[in-house]
Amino acid sequence: MIEFERVSRRFGDQDALRNLSLTIEQGEMAFLTGHSGAGKSTLLRLLLLLDRPSSGDIRVNGEPTSKIRSRMVPRYRRRFGVVFQDHRLLFDRSVHDNVALPLVMAGFSPTDTARRVRAALDKVGLLYHEQANPAVLSGGEQQRVGIARAVVARPEFLIADEPTGNLDPQLSSEIMSLFEAFNQVGVTVLVATHDLPLISRLRHRIITLHEGRLAGVRAQ
Amino acid sequence: MSSSSRQTREGWSRIAAWRSQHRSAATSSWQKLIARPVATGMVWLVVAISLALPGAMLLTLDNLRPLIPDLERPAQVSVMLDGELDLEQAEALQRELGTWDTVEDVTLVRRDEALVVFGEQTGLSGLLTSLDHNPLPHALLVSPTAPRTNTALSQLVKAIDGLSGVDRVIVDSQWMSRLDQALLATERWGLALGAAMVLGAILALANTLHFAIDARREEILVVRVIGGSPGFIRRPFLYTGLYFGAGGGVLAGLMLWALSLWIAGPVNALFALYGSPGQIQSPGVGYPSALIALGAGLGWLTSWTASARYFSRLDAS
Repeated sequence: MIEFERVSRRFGDQDALRNLSLTIEQGEMAFLTGHSGAGKSTLLRLLLLLDRPSSGDIRVNGEPTSKIRSRMVPRYRRRFGVVFQDHRLLFDRSVHDNVALPLVMAGFSPTDTARRVRAALDKVGLLYHEQANPAVLSGGEQQRVGIARAVVARPEFLIADEPTGNLDPQLSSEIMSLFEAFNQVGVTVLVATHDLPLISRLRHRIITLHEGRLAGVRAQ
Repeated sequence: MSSSSRQTREGWSRIAAWRSQHRSAATSSWQKLIARPVATGMVWLVVAISLALPGAMLLTLDNLRPLIPDLERPAQVSVMLDGELDLEQAEALQRELGTWDTVEDVTLVRRDEALVVFGEQTGLSGLLTSLDHNPLPHALLVSPTAPRTNTALSQLVKAIDGLSGVDRVIVDSQWMSRLDQALLATERWGLALGAAMVLGAILALANTLHFAIDARREEILVVRVIGGSPGFIRRPFLYTGLYFGAGGGVLAGLMLWALSLWIAGPVNALFALYGSPGQIQSPGVGYPSALIALGAGLGWLTSWTASARYFSRLDAS
């Protein structure tokens, strides 16, 4: 469960988030939407402790993130799988090595790593590209490698920032189906997107931000 | 089921994971270096030159040091007696000085002997025989007992000077003090220059490592977001620094060997010309090992500092 309680983030005299309170339930899948500058990215950055709120509390499974010391931040971040808009794959290594990165970081054994990487690639339908360089893949395939990397260590939460921003409607819908599949096995999923036509067809909660405030919630 | 219990069951301990991470960081950093042989070679050369110069200077001093005992002949005090003193009186003085604790040995140089030797050494024997009387006095050569410290020596000189019948006391030790000071000055100059060169190596390494880190900025950012610890992110760069430094050390060791082989001929000939049995001292294994260790240490530390600086600026941005 993720709870934001009266969270504000101010940059100079600009408010990126104003007094925002919201809750994402355990095992829920929710969309975060709003115009650019509405505060979606700020919210995700605060959640991943890439930034700290000016005021207010963020709690993850009841634990206030303000209590997490900087030494423990990497361990905290490993509870999240993160999918980026530009997928941010590393082109100096194979698809396998990109997906294996979170496992190598967490200290999994090579055999365990190999098994999990193959399972994750299989899930996103890219097992046959395991040894390829991600640069030779299409945009949709690269994004699916990014998703495999995000889920390979079986995180509690899956966070995606505009994951379909550069994809056509067909591919976007495939990506969303993948997120739903992970949600169905118990992963809490939060997707920031402004692809309203796509998400309005899906039966999940839509949280709308406007100028840093909660502007509305459409129940699932 | 927690991930730690799963790992224990498979016999994959934290130490094994840590070793595996080091192995892969070490390998990938090495592959990145050899993928750019020219750039890497240039860094190695810069480090090598900065390390080899102070190394060569220390080696030179090491070569000079064994020669110094040869030069340190026991300091001798020459005592010129009054011209009127006859041989008997001179011998009496020789006997008296011989009883002193501070004196090890006294040799009497008779005025006629001295004249002959002086004539032979200067080639003026013919001229000297034409003199109607010997202008030289009798003299005593006094060897002080050890330790021949400067204070002991000056006290002895004072005591001898106070004896009646003594005209002048000459201590021929100044040239040694000069040599000592010259060597000390050279050593300090070498150390200062060496320190400057090593500082240069550190700066060159820091600059190169900064660019190596900056070239992987995207990777650092991604790994940070997905939970890579600072140690994990830093590790490949520490190995890069280690390879730069150690490689430079290896090259510096080779340079030192090449240099000593090259100058061995003339230097050994020089030793022979001075009648010294000395041979040029090669860098052996010790010098290259020390240079490699120094280079590796500098590389590792510089990389640590450069990455810490880079990460803190990344955090601030």
